[in-house]
Amino acid sequence: MKKRHVLAIAVVLALLAGACGNDDGTATEPIKIGIIADLTGAFTTYGTSLSRSAQLAVDEVNAAGGIDGRQVEVIVEDIQSDVTVTVDKARKLVESDHVDLVMGPIGSDANDAAFQTVVQEGGTLLFYTETYEGGKCDERYFSFGAVPAQQIRPLIPVLQEQYGPKAMLFGADYVWPHRSFEIAKPIIEENGGTVVAELYLPLVAEDFTELVRQVRDTQPDYIFALYPAVWGAALKALDDAGLLDDIGIGTIFLGDPDFAGIADLAEGDYTALPFFTVAAGDGVQPFLDAFAAKYGEGEIPSGGEGVGAYDAVYLYKQAVEKAGTTDPAAVAEALVGLSYDGPTGPVTMTPSHHLRQTINLVQAQGGEYMLVDSFPDQDPEEACNP
Amino acid sequence: MQPVGDLTEGRPPEPAAAPGRRTRRTAEIAFLVLLVALPLLSNDTFLIDRFGRYFLFAVFAISVDLIWGYGGMFTFGHAAFFGGGGYLVAMLTTRTGSFLPVPFWIALPLAVAAAAVLALAMSYFVFSGREALRGVEFAVVTLAVAVLAERLTNAGGAVTGGQNGILMQTRLGIPGVISLHRGYGFYALTGILLVAAYLGVQRFIRSRPGLVLRGIRDNEDRIDLLGYDVAQVKRRAFVLSGALAALAGALFHVHEGIVSPGAVGVSSSTLVLLWVVLGGRGTLLGPVVGALLLPHLTASLSGTLLDTWLVVVGVILVAVITLLPAGLLGFLGKEPEP
Repeated sequence: MKKRHVLAIAVVLALLAGACGNDDGTATEPIKIGIIADLTGAFTTYGTSLSRSAQLAVDEVNAAGGIDGRQVEVIVEDIQSDVTVTVDKARKLVESDHVDLVMGPIGSDANDAAFQTVVQEGGTLLFYTETYEGGKCDERYFSFGAVPAQQIRPLIPVLQEQYGPKAMLFGADYVWPHRSFEIAKPIIEENGGTVVAELYLPLVAEDFTELVRQVRDTQPDYIFALYPAVWGAALKALDDAGLLDDIGIGTIFLGDPDFAGIADLAEGDYTALPFFTVAAGDGVQPFLDAFAAKYGEGEIPSGGEGVGAYDAVYLYKQAVEKAGTTDPAAVAEALVGLSYDGPTGPVTMTPSHHLRQTINLVQAQGGEYMLVDSFPDQDPEEACNP
Repeated sequence: MQPVGDLTEGRPPEPAAAPGRRTRRTAEIAFLVLLVALPLLSNDTFLIDRFGRYFLFAVFAISVDLIWGYGGMFTFGHAAFFGGGGYLVAMLTTRTGSFLPVPFWIALPLAVAAAAVLALAMSYFVFSGREALRGVEFAVVTLAVAVLAERLTNAGGAVTGGQNGILMQTRLGIPGVISLHRGYGFYALTGILLVAAYLGVQRFIRSRPGLVLRGIRDNEDRIDLLGYDVAQVKRRAFVLSGALAALAGALFHVHEGIVSPGAVGVSSSTLVLLWVVLGGRGTLLGPVVGALLLPHLTASLSGTLLDTWLVVVGVILVAVITLLPAGLLGFLGKEPEP
């Protein structure tokens, strides 16, 4: 009993001591970039890609002399695909580490939380690099991922040419699909198509009878789908009903790692995203090589958040050097209009604080993504006036 | 008519020289000293603020220890109350409607009352009558409640904000007089709440219904046969626990500025069980310590050992549970029996 006593107290003290040592007494004043990344939990693939790509860019920047002669220090925090942890970690980076810039997160609820914590409460810059629904506007918020109009404009004409004019919109019941479909509808009509069905199911549905029923009843030529969490299950349900062979499918979310798991079911499907390993651009192969050299053979950045984070670091470097300071307001002002020749081609920060960039369109053929076409300079068409 | 001699005492007699109680008192005082000393020793506002949030976790852990540690009611769904408190306050303060939105100081008691009513309603279904649920059956019902709560919040459209949840601009404190929203003010607010919740629940546990509750934990049939109203005592504990969890959750999510479906789900509900187990179930102070240590450890390690922190935390948990099955503060023992 006594022994356990001592053991227990020792454990408590050890835990406290071990958890308390995060002092840093740097004298050289590096520029600090905080990354809130989902390294564990549901978004591990994307969070890891975001964090690794950003660190790759920072390594390169540091090797080339840093930003304005200052080295860049990266502080990565694992937000565990959890909103509560996101708030805590974002506050830690802003209030305790005093970072100059926060990058991340992945989930759009976490983005809301980070936006409130980093931008509104902390007055710090937030760079979001995930593909998302768009519409977030603030002087200190910048989006480097793709937004719906950029992806939908190239995708829809190809689907209609391949399969026909009747479109079904199928999405998970949350903000991203809803807003994307609102943007898609006029684009579908401009291209001479009609929306014959629009269906939203819960984020993780267990029953796809309604999807199958609506496809049977309305006979669409193609489905424009935004159902990221359990897309394989939806495809399986359509396949079991014998509907998958006759119908075209286009998505704006299925990056390389997600595709790999459901390649059989996704055969013939089209996907539009900023980045694939088969993406066009002279910078793609060097980017992939550098990524594999740093993180191991076979490791690849995922669909958009990776290249977005990589571009973001380089654009931040330019903006800080142009502004001559890391002051958030000055950097934000300097950033607008800046261009950079990224792995997939030139990217430009628009006045709406969303990124004009190249979108790549691929089709699954024989279990692999094949490049169909690449669309440079896609306008985000966001209407922010920060 | 009261059945057995010892139990007729209004409250358990205070054993004058019981070592268990003295150890407990020492541990409680040590904890209180640490609680007061931390903000005096540290000038890291963020760290102080972070411990303020952990104090609310600790209140949540107390609420679970009350029903599980002392009442033997294993719950898989208590985040429905913790997160539910957050959702109720968020909806009451941000949604517009007939009488909405209401100010925070009205929303908070409303949310706590609503949680209590929900707990009461649940109690009637699960604890009463011949179909009264125990053990695994009860755990399954609580699990279902958490799953249901997560689904409802996800599917709630404009009411619950769906997957994205609800953002709140509410600031704790009295505008223009004192801010308790962040840093030291928040620490003081939650620290006082923690001490109050601890003493309140301890008082309940040492009271006569609390004694019956512990009896139910140890042998429900016997207590039932002795003529006590088992359902009523369980109900009381469950309502108190639900209300307490909702109070902590409401404050927690206002401090976060956001509440989203993960808050009410199964994973949040299991996390609190880990804190309770780590600290020592049925010791009251143990779960408090668990709710401070584990989140602090996780938060620190997940920023330093990026690739391995889950393994490290896992190994520590397994080690503690194997070497100290009663928890870190298991040496405190159970509340002294008469």
